Amino acid sequence: MRLNIYLTGIGGQGLITFASIIGQAAVDSGLRVTVAETHGLSQRGGAVDVHVRIGEAHSPLIPRGEADVVVAFEIIEALRALPYTNPATVFIANRRLIPPPAFRGKLPKPEDVEVEIKSRVASAYFIDAYNHAVKLGNPIFENMVMLGALFALTRVKELISMDTVEGAIVKVIGKAVQENLRAFRLGYSIASARR
Amino acid sequence: MANCTVRFMLGNHAVAHAALEAGIAVAAGYPGTPSSEIIEYIFEHAGETGTYVEWSSNEKVAFEVAYGAALAGARALVSMKHVGLNVAMDPLMSSAYTGVRNSLLVITADDPGMWSSQNEQDNRWVGLHSHIPVFEPYNPQNAADLVKLSMDFSSRLNHPVIMRLVTRVSHVREPVKVCEFGKPIYASGYVKDPAHQALVPANARLLKGELVKRWEEVKALVEDLPHEYVDDGKVLIITSGVAYRYVKEALEDLEVKASTLNLAASVPVPRKLIANAASKADKVIVVEEGDPVVELQVKETLFDEGIRIPVYGKAEGLFTMVGELTLINVREGIAKALGVDIGRVVNHQYVANVPPRPPVFCPGCPHAASFYELKIAAARARVKPVFSGDIGCYSLGINPPFNEQDLLTNMGSSIGLGMGVLRGTGGRQFIVAVIGDSTFFHAGLPALVDAVYNKAPMLIVVLDNRYTAMTGGQPSPTQVIDIGAVARAIGVKHVYTVDPFNVKGAEEALRDAIEKVKGGEPAVVVMRRACALEAVRGRGALVVRYTVDADACRACGICYNLLACPAINKLDNGKATIDQAACVGCSVCAQICPYGAIRPIGEPSGWLSKWGEL
Repeated sequence: MRLNIYLTGIGGQGLITFASIIGQAAVDSGLRVTVAETHGLSQRGGAVDVHVRIGEAHSPLIPRGEADVVVAFEIIEALRALPYTNPATVFIANRRLIPPPAFRGKLPKPEDVEVEIKSRVASAYFIDAYNHAVKLGNPIFENMVMLGALFALTRVKELISMDTVEGAIVKVIGKAVQENLRAFRLGYSIASARR
Repeated sequence: MANCTVRFMLGNHAVAHAALEAGIAVAAGYPGTPSSEIIEYIFEHAGETGTYVEWSSNEKVAFEVAYGAALAGARALVSMKHVGLNVAMDPLMSSAYTGVRNSLLVITADDPGMWSSQNEQDNRWVGLHSHIPVFEPYNPQNAADLVKLSMDFSSRLNHPVIMRLVTRVSHVREPVKVCEFGKPIYASGYVKDPAHQALVPANARLLKGELVKRWEEVKALVEDLPHEYVDDGKVLIITSGVAYRYVKEALEDLEVKASTLNLAASVPVPRKLIANAASKADKVIVVEEGDPVVELQVKETLFDEGIRIPVYGKAEGLFTMVGELTLINVREGIAKALGVDIGRVVNHQYVANVPPRPPVFCPGCPHAASFYELKIAAARARVKPVFSGDIGCYSLGINPPFNEQDLLTNMGSSIGLGMGVLRGTGGRQFIVAVIGDSTFFHAGLPALVDAVYNKAPMLIVVLDNRYTAMTGGQPSPTQVIDIGAVARAIGVKHVYTVDPFNVKGAEEALRDAIEKVKGGEPAVVVMRRACALEAVRGRGALVVRYTVDADACRACGICYNLLACPAINKLDNGKATIDQAACVGCSVCAQICPYGAIRPIGEPSGWLSKWGEL
C-alpha cells in the first residue's frame, strides 16, 4: 500500500500544519509516513509545496506524474501542480485565486483552470475553502476545510479513522481546537455532498 | 532505554534532541537554511538540561566557541548551513591537528538544488581536505542514531567529526524514537597543554604526524560503523545519505535484484567492506547526493585492491551533477547501468504560461521603503550607482521595480566587492553597498574597517531590521550593539541613523550622505526599522491600517508600481486599492502618494511608535 499526496499553495496558508496533522495521524494509525517540505523563502508569499507519502515509500519526494492525490490551496498553484498528476489522480483544489504580487501579465481565469484540470484527471473537486473559513470567523481555518475535503474524497479515510485525525488536529494545533475541528467537519460534509 | 517514545518530528529537531540525549554541554551556530531548527530546538530545551547554547555572530566564531569547549573537555556541537563552513574553515583545519578532549560534532546542512543558497557545494569534500570523518544520515531516525554514535566516535578518538545533512533529511518529518535528555558533559576545568593546543610551527609539525596516524585509526574504526549491506546478486549499488532512499524505491519500481551497501560514513569510506562486497560483484553503481565523493573513493579502493569491474556513477553521466537527485533520475540511471527497460513513461511536462510566483518583500517590509528611498535619492543626486548587494531578505531588491542588487555573492560581500569595483574602475564608479544588520556583524565589520583604513569613498547602507529575518527571525547583535555607534567608533565621519518609514527624512539623509561620498569619504546610513513580520507577531490588534480614497486617487500608479507592496492592488481603472487583510500599517504608501489619497483608518502614531520600539 502506498498513497502519495502532493500539497501546493502559498506560504502562510497552513500547508505544513496540514501535512503535520496527516503525518501525526498516520503514525497514530501505525502507518509509515514521510513528509518533505521546502522552507526557505516560504514566508515571503512564494509558492510552497509539501510531499506526503503514506505506506510503502522510501523516497522523500513524490516523482512527477505519480501523485495519487493533489491538494491545491490556491488555483494558480493548482495549475503548477499538474505535472505531478496522472489520469487517475484525485485532484482537490481551493477555488481561491491569490494574484502573484508584482505580476504584470494576464492571469488565468479560475473557470479555465478548472477546465484544464478536468481535462487531465478523472476526479477533480473544487472547494470554496476560503469563503467557508471566513464564515467560520477566520480565513486561517481554510486548511482545515481542505483537510476535511481530503478525508471525504480520497481513500485516506480508509487508512486513518476520523477519530484519529481529529486527535491529531488537537495534538498538532493545540489552540482554537473547537474552531479547527468545526472547520474540518464542515469541509468533510461539503465535500461528501460532492461525491 | 527508559522513558522513550516515538514522536513525529522534523529531521533537524531529531538531530538536536539526540544531541541533548547524548549530553551536549555547549552548542553554537549561525542561522541558515536548512540548518536553523537545530539550534532553535536546543534553545527551547537548554533550560531543562543546563546546556549552554548561543547564536553566534558568524560561523567561524560559532565554530571556535564549540571547538574551545571541546578543547577544554566538554561535549560540543556547532551547526550551520553548507556555505557557513567556508567561513569556519580556518579553525576547522586546526581542529584536526589539535584534536579535542571530548567530542566536537560539526553539523553542516547542505542545500542541493539551492532552494535558498548561492551554491550547492558538497561539504563531504571538507572531510577529505581536513582529515575529519563525515557521517551522512539518510532520514531523521538515522540522523538521531548517527548523532549519538558520532559523538562517541569523536570522544573515543579525541577527534572532531562532521555530520553532513541535506534539505531532504533536515526538512523531512518522520517518526523518531526519542528518549530522556542526558546530563550535559562539561569539563571540570581547563588543563593546560600548549604542545597539543597551541599551533606554533614546531608544535604543528609534530601534530601533523599525529594526525596522519590518527587518520589511520579513523579508517580502521570506520569499518565497524553500522553500514547497511544487503547481499542480493552480482550488481552492487553503493550509496550514502538520502540517496539510499531513492535507490531502495528505484529497485522496487524496476523489479531488479541488486546488492546494496549504504555507508554510514562517506569520508573515509570503509575500504575493506567495499572491497569484500565488490569482490562478489561484476558491476558497481554509486549513487550519492552531490558530488562524486564516494564514487572517487570507491574507484580508488577497487584500483588499489586490483578489482577490475566497471563502476558507474556521476562521472559516467548516469546521475545528475546539478540539483537534487530525484526518484526518476535514480530509476533512469540504474536502468541504464543495468541495461533494463525503465518500464513506465511518465508525463511530467509543465503546463505552459503559469504565472511565476517569486518571493517578494512582505507587506510593510522596511526594506521596500529603503530601496524606494535609495533609488529616489540617487536619481535626485544624479548618480548612477552600482548596487553591491548581500545575503538576506534584502537580496529580493534584485527584483523589479527596485533592481538594486547588481552583485551578490556571499555573506558580507557587499562592502568588499563594492571596494573592488571602485578600485577596478579607477575610482570612477559610484558605489552603494547594501547590507543587513546580521550580515553586517557577520562579515561586514572587517570590510568596513578596510573601507575606513584604505579611504574608500562609497556609500554603505545598513538595512537594520533588528532580526536575522530571512531564516525565521532569530535575534541579531543589533539588538544590543548600536550599528551607528560602531561605524563612528571605527572612524566613519559621516554616519546617519534614519527610519525608512520617515520617507522625507530618509531621502534627505541619503542625499546628504551621497554628497559626502562625492567629496571623497565613506558614509554609512543605518536604516533602522524592525521586520514587519516580527512587529505584527502578537501585536496584530494594535495595527492601524490604511485605505485608498477612490475619489482622491488619480490612478498615477506610484504606490503599486514603485513600492510594489503586496497589499496594494491595481484596479481595472488604474486606481489603487489596499487589501485590509494584508496591510500592516507601515504608512509609507500614504507618504509617497502625491494626492493624499491614502489615509489611515484611525490614529496611526501609536502603532508606528510601538513598532519603532523594536
